Amino acid sequence: MSSFPKVAVAGVGVTRQARRLEGQDTLQACLEAARLALDDAGMTFDDVDGIAGRWPGPGGTVFHPGSLDWGSMLGLPLRWISDTYPQGIPAALEAAAAIEAGLCSSVLVLGGQAGELGEGAVAPYTRPDNEFVATWGAFTAAQFALVAHRYLHTYGVAWERVSRVAVTIRNHGHANSEAVMFGRGPYAIDDVMSAPRIAEPFGRLDLCLANEGAAAMVITSESRARDTGRPVVRIVGGGCEWHRQQYVQPARYEDVGMIGQDAARRAYEASGLTHDDLDVLQLYDVNSFEVVRQLEVLGFCGQGEGADFLDDVDISLGGTLPVNTDGGLMSHSHIGWGAPTLRIVEAVRQLRGEAGTRQVPGARTAMAGGAGSGAQYYNLLLLQRG
Amino acid sequence: MRPLPQPSELTRPFWDGAVAHRLLHPRCDACGGAFFPPHAVCPACRAAAWSWQESAGRGTVHSSTVVHRAPQEGFATPYVLAVVDLDEGFELMTNVVGAGALDVTTGRRVRVAWQQVGDSVLPVFEADPEQEDASA
Repeated sequence: MSSFPKVAVAGVGVTRQARRLEGQDTLQACLEAARLALDDAGMTFDDVDGIAGRWPGPGGTVFHPGSLDWGSMLGLPLRWISDTYPQGIPAALEAAAAIEAGLCSSVLVLGGQAGELGEGAVAPYTRPDNEFVATWGAFTAAQFALVAHRYLHTYGVAWERVSRVAVTIRNHGHANSEAVMFGRGPYAIDDVMSAPRIAEPFGRLDLCLANEGAAAMVITSESRARDTGRPVVRIVGGGCEWHRQQYVQPARYEDVGMIGQDAARRAYEASGLTHDDLDVLQLYDVNSFEVVRQLEVLGFCGQGEGADFLDDVDISLGGTLPVNTDGGLMSHSHIGWGAPTLRIVEAVRQLRGEAGTRQVPGARTAMAGGAGSGAQYYNLLLLQRG
Repeated sequence: MRPLPQPSELTRPFWDGAVAHRLLHPRCDACGGAFFPPHAVCPACRAAAWSWQESAGRGTVHSSTVVHRAPQEGFATPYVLAVVDLDEGFELMTNVVGAGALDVTTGRRVRVAWQQVGDSVLPVFEADPEQEDASA
C-alpha cells in the first residue's frame, strides 16, 4: 500500500442541469453549486482555505481570471489555489496532495457554464481555433472519430457492437429526473444507429451533450471529513496522463488508444484495488467509443476486446458492472470543464447510498474518469465508502 | 464563415509554400527527423536547429472520418477529414477531396492537391490513381 493522501470528498453540490439556464450566468451557477457543496459537507465558506476553480467568467483583474478571483470576491484569505486543467479529477488530486502536505485543509473545487452557450452547431470549446485544425473543419467529435475509425479498422469491430453502449447510458438518463434528457427515449440500438450521422462512425446519439449547469465539491482530510458526521467517501487512488496538447496535433489511436492505462495501474497500486473491486463506473462518455475504450484501459478486458466484453457483461443498472448510472455526459449533463466533477458527484452519491431509484445496491468502491483518447489526456479517481 | 489560417512567424513559411504549391515541413538538422506542426525545437531530440523541407506530397491515409455536420458555416457537407502520413515521415490533418473521396479510407495512397479558399491556398489530398493502396 502506498502513502496516498488520506483525503475525502466531504461534500458535493450541483445546480439544475439544463440545455440553457435562462437568466443565469456562470458565476451565479458556480456560486450556487459551491453553497450546495458546502452545505452538504456541513461547512461554510469560512472553512475553505483552498480553491481550484479557474474563473469561468469576467474576473475584472489584469491577469487572466483565475481561482484567486474567487478569494477576492468571497473575501477569503486563501492558503492554496490551483488553476487546474481541467477541473474535477486533476483538481481533486492536486488538492489531495496539497492537503496531505499541510498547505491547506479544505479545498473547494467548482466549475460549470451558464449563459455562455449560443445557438451554434457545436459549443465553442469543441472548435479549437488552431490553423492546422480549424482550417480543415476539424472539431472535437471529429477528432475522436478519427481515433475510433482507426480502432474499428485495426480490430475489425462492427460499429453497432460499440454503439450499443449509448443505448444503455441514454436509458439511464431517460429514467433520471435530474438529467437534461430525462424522459427522452427509451432508446433501442436501431434508434442510435439510424440517428443522423455527425462524423462517422458517430451519429447524434453517440455523442455527449453540451449544456449548462455547475458542479462543486469539497475535498478535505479524512479525519476532518469524519468530524462532519456525514458518510465518508475517501479518495483512495488516482492518476493523470497527458500525451499532447489536445486538438492541435491529430490524435493517433496507436499513441492514445490506451491512454489512461498507466494512470489506472498507478491508481490500483496506490489503493491496493483492482478493476474487480469496482462496483460502479462513472466513465467519461464523450462518445460511445470512449466507453468501450475505457473498459479496456481499466483492465476489464484486453485491448480491442471491449465489444466482446459487452457480449458477456451487462453495464446497465441492475447489471454486474453498472456504468454511468445518471446518464453520463450523453444524457445527464456535460458542462464543459465542470463535467468531470459531475462524474465524481455521481460516484459519491452512489457510494453514500443516496442515488435513489438508480442506486447500485451495496456500492462500496467506484471509479470516475475524465477526458479521453481524442483529447490526448485521461485522468481517473478511485473512491471508496467508509 | 470558414476559418482560414492566420499564420504566425513560426508557421508562415508553410502557408507561403502552399501558395506556390509546395508542401513544406520541418526537418531536424540534428537528428534528421521530420515533424509537424512546427515547434521551437525538434520534439524528438530537442535540437533548436531545423529547416523547412519540401515533401513530394505523397502519403497514406492513417485514419479518416466523413463529416456530415460541420462545426460552423462555410464547409460543404459531407466532407472527409483525414490524418495523412506523408512518405517523408510527418503527418497532416487535412481533407480528402475529388472523385471517390467519400470512399477513401485507412491505408489508401493519396497525393497532395491544392485548394484555393479566399486568399489562402490549402493542401488537401486526393486518391492517388497510380497507387491503389499502401501495399501497391
